Amino acid sequence: MSEDGQQPIIVLEDVCKYFGDFQALKNINFQVQKGERIVVCGPSGSGKSTMIRCINRLEEHDSGKIIVNGHELTNDVKDIDAVRREVGMVFQSFNLFPHLKVIDNLMLAPKLVRKTSKAEARESAMRLLERVYIPDQADKYPSQLSGGQQQRVAIARALCMNPEVMLFDEPTSALDPEMISEVLDVMVELAEEGMTMVCVTHEMGFARSVANNIAFMDRGEIVETNPPNEFFNNPRNERTKLFLSQILSH
Amino acid sequence: MSFDVSLIIDSLPKMLRGLGLTLQLLFISSFIGLALAVVILLMRISGRWFLSAPAAVYIYVFRGTPILVQIFVIYYGLPQFELIRESIFWPILREPFGCCVVALSLNSGAYVSEILRGGVLGVEKGVLEAASAVGLSKRQRFIYITTPIAVRLAIPAYSNDTISMLKATALASTVTLLEVTGVARTIVAETFAPYEIFIAAAIIYVTLASMFQKGFGLFEKRMSRYVKDA
Amino acid sequence: MSELSGWWDDYFWGAMVVLRVFVVALVMSVVFGLIGSAMKLSKSRIAQRLASAYTVVFRGTPELLVLLIIYFGAAVTLTSIVQIADPNVKFVDIPPFWAGAFAIALIVGSYMTETFRGAFLGVDPGQLEAARALGISNFKTFIYVRIPQMWRLALPSFGNHMLSLMKDTALISVVGLEEIVFVAEMATSVTVKPFTMYIIVALIYLAITTVITLSVMALEKYANRHLQGSR
Ligand SMILES: Nc1ncnc2c1ncn2[C@@H]1O[C@H](COP(=O)(O)OP(=O)(O)OP(=O)(O)O)[C@@H](O)[C@H]1O
Ligand SMILES: [Mg+2]
Repeated sequence: MSEDGQQPIIVLEDVCKYFGDFQALKNINFQVQKGERIVVCGPSGSGKSTMIRCINRLEEHDSGKIIVNGHELTNDVKDIDAVRREVGMVFQSFNLFPHLKVIDNLMLAPKLVRKTSKAEARESAMRLLERVYIPDQADKYPSQLSGGQQQRVAIARALCMNPEVMLFDEPTSALDPEMISEVLDVMVELAEEGMTMVCVTHEMGFARSVANNIAFMDRGEIVETNPPNEFFNNPRNERTKLFLSQILSH
Repeated sequence: MSFDVSLIIDSLPKMLRGLGLTLQLLFISSFIGLALAVVILLMRISGRWFLSAPAAVYIYVFRGTPILVQIFVIYYGLPQFELIRESIFWPILREPFGCCVVALSLNSGAYVSEILRGGVLGVEKGVLEAASAVGLSKRQRFIYITTPIAVRLAIPAYSNDTISMLKATALASTVTLLEVTGVARTIVAETFAPYEIFIAAAIIYVTLASMFQKGFGLFEKRMSRYVKDA
Repeated sequence: MSELSGWWDDYFWGAMVVLRVFVVALVMSVVFGLIGSAMKLSKSRIAQRLASAYTVVFRGTPELLVLLIIYFGAAVTLTSIVQIADPNVKFVDIPPFWAGAFAIALIVGSYMTETFRGAFLGVDPGQLEAARALGISNFKTFIYVRIPQMWRLALPSFGNHMLSLMKDTALISVVGLEEIVFVAEMATSVTVKPFTMYIIVALIYLAITTVITLSVMALEKYANRHLQGSR
């Protein structure tokens, strides 16, 4: 897969994950190159969230190997912390720190984890808020913002740690339709700047215009991975075809 | 029989002298109880059985028995043992005041730790995951995310518990302490006017309880400025 | 534990007294709670005010003080009434059992008032409308739709109220009810083993509160059975 001989930044090898007896991930093999943008889609319950959460160890995989930027994910706390510093994550339900103002949401991790000075943290937080077009909301609490604004704060909060990779888990599916595009616009800009992204989403327009590859998951497996053109126009697997016919019909 | 309002007015100042002792019992026990509660909470959520099991047993025992019985066990019961009488705690356990403070503190420790645990469990999982995802350690998550959110969630229940504690201080009168209820009982023994005197005492307690409730309400409001419909 | 021999039956009968007070007070407190919540939910301003005063006063006054007011107050009142008929009577004894049960019921009833009110308001109005739309009578809706849901909502705090009620029974020894604290007092004066005697009391209470807690848990499980399997 690697086009220029570089090491992939994320590698999953034969990853399995169980919840009790239920196998949520079945021998997942998956790679992401630096600068690559991958969209993951698939029906509900297919394991998309589980896979993406394994990448920064919000879930622990049971077997197989996950390597992120050269660190293999084991129970070693040092490696986990190192990985989390390099991987930003955006959740479906924003998950902002409700008791902190927007600006403090952004400054907390740099101050605590990177030991950045307060002034410096504030400056880079403001820069990021400008980048997501809400510098004027810096002194509000999350509950005072619209969903779209909250999600943009969440993106900025993840960017504050200067991650190498950004993971998105259905970032727009909790949003009212009119707010979806303001979040997608920010994500498109991130992609244009060359950010490595793994994005679970059903926004097929976004997938078409931004993704290098689209991975389709079903019942804990990656069924098919293809560039958008191929994926939409010439799906190979029956399950992919069924999924596409459902999702594109409305 | 007649209801003598002037008796209420006459006895109020006397009872207010008992108020000092009531408040001392309340504040000292609440303070010790809170410190104890934090320790017990940390033991309970430590994830290690040899810490969480004793904490759970402690909570179970103190929540499952009447405070009056606890006071009696400590005040009347403990002196049965030579060991206690010769220990450094004897100066405290010899006095009814010390015994009441010990009983009330232990009690409040058990209840408040459960209240705090409720607050901790009320913190949304997703918010903590987000904190992990930006690289905060377990300790940092507890200090900077869990604690402030849990404290706010715990205020209403803590407010109720403080009022329960205020009411529990009246039990000190059963071991001869002259706090508000104790004073009231001695006056009733002299005047034999139970309605007037006890109602005067009740007025003091209800007023105090309302004041505490107001105070905690304001505190909660302040702490909730980040919540949408506060 | 040899010093306990000879006292077991006293503790047993004392425990029976505790259970009797508990049952009587529980029934009364439910009645007070239902009346209080009905008044709070009624349209009458006066009823609402009265019910509010009831909850504020009884939730803010120490349980012991309420007991003393009821016990000694009733004694004084009854004495003066009896003296009208027969001036030679010096003092009428009030049975501590009833004074105690009544006092505790008043207190716990004030808490139940809030619980019942909350449970009543907590039932989703949509369901009631659905029942009406199906042509089910108001009365039947109340019995078959509202009550079952109310009790599911009220159960957890109802359980807590039962526990406080049980523990409040210990207070009645102060006005001379011959329950287990009273037994411990007697036994102590004979054996001079206060710790042993009072620890037994604590253990009896712990056993009873454990049974109450477990029963409420079982009931909750039963009441929530239709929620199982949903996440
Ligand atoms: N903590 C958990 N405990 C038990 N089962 C779980 C847990 N988390 C997920 N699952 C199960 O694992 C499967 C995959 O879940 P996952 O959340 O990864 O799906 P998804 O593809 O993200 O779906 P959606 O589109 O609904 O978000 C589902 O069947 C789900 O029920
Ligand atoms: Mg998901």
